[in-house]
Amino acid sequence: MADDEDPKEYRWETGYEKTWEAIKEDDDGFLEASVAEIIQRAKRKRQQNKQVNSKLGMMRHLYVVLDCSDAMSAQDLKPTRLLCTLKILENFIEEFFDQNPISQMGIIIMHNKRAERICDLGGNFRKYIKTVNGLTKTALIGEPSLQNGLELALKSLKLLPSHASREILVIMGSLTTCDPSDINKTISMLKHEGVRCSVVGLAAEVHVCRQLANETGVDPPPAAVCLESSLIKMGFPHQMIVEGTEEPLTMCMCHVDSTEEGSKLTTGGYYCPQCYSKYCELPVECRSCGLTLVSAPHLARSYHHLFPAASYREIEFDNQSLNCFACQKIFSEADKQVYLCSNCQQYFCLDCDIFVHDILHTCPGCATNPTTFQMFQSQM
Amino acid sequence: MQKAQNKLAIMACHSKISKFVYPGPGKPLDIRQVDGQYEVFTLVEKTVKQNLMKILTTETSTVYTESLLAGTIAMALCYIARILRTKTPGLKINSRILTVTGSGDSASQYMNYMNVFFTAQKQNVVIDVCALDQHLSLLQQGCDITNGLYLRIPQIQGLLQYLLWVFLPEPPVRQKLVLPPPVKVDYRAACFCHRELIDVGYVCSVCLSIFCKFSPICTTCHTVFKIPGPLTVKSKKKKIKL
Ligand SMILES: [Zn+2]
Ligand SMILES: [Zn+2]
Ligand SMILES: [Zn+2]
Ligand SMILES: [Zn+2]
Repeated sequence: MADDEDPKEYRWETGYEKTWEAIKEDDDGFLEASVAEIIQRAKRKRQQNKQVNSKLGMMRHLYVVLDCSDAMSAQDLKPTRLLCTLKILENFIEEFFDQNPISQMGIIIMHNKRAERICDLGGNFRKYIKTVNGLTKTALIGEPSLQNGLELALKSLKLLPSHASREILVIMGSLTTCDPSDINKTISMLKHEGVRCSVVGLAAEVHVCRQLANETGVDPPPAAVCLESSLIKMGFPHQMIVEGTEEPLTMCMCHVDSTEEGSKLTTGGYYCPQCYSKYCELPVECRSCGLTLVSAPHLARSYHHLFPAASYREIEFDNQSLNCFACQKIFSEADKQVYLCSNCQQYFCLDCDIFVHDILHTCPGCATNPTTFQMFQSQM
Repeated sequence: MQKAQNKLAIMACHSKISKFVYPGPGKPLDIRQVDGQYEVFTLVEKTVKQNLMKILTTETSTVYTESLLAGTIAMALCYIARILRTKTPGLKINSRILTVTGSGDSASQYMNYMNVFFTAQKQNVVIDVCALDQHLSLLQQGCDITNGLYLRIPQIQGLLQYLLWVFLPEPPVRQKLVLPPPVKVDYRAACFCHRELIDVGYVCSVCLSIFCKFSPICTTCHTVFKIPGPLTVKSKKKKIKL
């Protein structure tokens, strides 16, 4: 997992050589505006160097095991280790589902020597972001138990078919772990099951974490090998609606052998088009016939990797346009540069350049111009 | 205009152009109070009329029936993003986009639609759709993704009623109102080869393009596939036409 996180993210400084020379006070004597500008430039640079994930169609199953012990209240990361971690985790979740749209994630927290699963494996990234936001109020108590955290994740990952890719990401703030028995047994079990573990340590390196990562992380996740450039058969379930009839109460396959709350009978759900098993959430691999079940927007979330928005060229501002084509901001003296779309020939501001290429992935100029729009269509 | 702090922007679009009609380009019109009417109303009305007229009279060639709505929503999202960037810190803004249209929503704009829906979702912008004519299945997905409201109005005479009763209330207020029941949204995939809705299809593991039949090469990313391995062996039972 560690290799998924952009190391540059943590080496902000690399983009800021001699930044102090660029920092100027604005008219009111504030530094903020120019600092913001430097950050924007760095963003733009990062965006241009962005690498495209070459394999989007992998179904990964990842458990994030998060330390919520007393050690997370330390303030060496601002404002606290926990809050800082949650903020980054939120970005990580978004990025994870963006690059692995048909994957599943689960979240486990460790505190007071116990492990608690707060999110089952699933693919609804909104739910995870909400859960992570809710964690800001978690009581940070006692010591973590790495072993309990790993065991709980393993228990759930074990239920998956053996060819599925299974991973655990541990985020540890504590330097100690309080385990009920020999953690080495757990580590060798994880290795045996082919679960790849990675650890992010917020404090100094902990020996057992290094060992865990070394022993389980050598081979790439098994599914990465199996799924190499293949055409995968997938099902796109639609909800079954028979006009005028009440849907029967049925049990979904995801909760059939779970004793947790919420495993009640429900109406509605997604039915496997091949064998009619019911699931309450997508994406999922059908437990009875093995078909991967997804919804079309799950896949569409990643299509921007295939069809990126046209890139913009940085040009000295010389009253080429009155305002930014997209956000309507009036260009002024302060805009030293404007950004020209090579495709639709419209001018944009720096903020929109970043917004379009980072988040939107559709050039508003191209998408509202019948000529460029058709050009784009023929590329597809 | 329920609250003085509420802000409104209006855009107009057809198959060739997308423009802000309020606030329009250039300086705001010079408005004097008319008959005790709230000045802002007069300003909005005059500006919209003037700019709409400009748009309608400048286009002389044939306009197609399908508007480039996805691009217009993209512009609106950039506009909202700017408002959010420049707002006073700490101020909470609920933003939403209401689309009123008689246009169709064919799959030709599929990618742009999906991009704007996911962006709106990320930015917590609600997309509401009021369909005046045909059923709009893609825009309906957008409403579902962003927690907005989709309504195809039964008769055009009732438009104002629907706008006032259904679309005027803020999303947080809506939970308390009796609104048309949510419909189940069809999320089936359209294959890249024929743009037809399918239940079961083949997906390229490299680029996630969807095809309705097995083919040895992906037409999108040109990956050459291995002959189906043990994982896809089940699919062989189906006839494979080559
Ligand atoms: Zn099945
Ligand atoms: Zn702009
Ligand atoms: Zn463009
Ligand atoms: Zn492909």
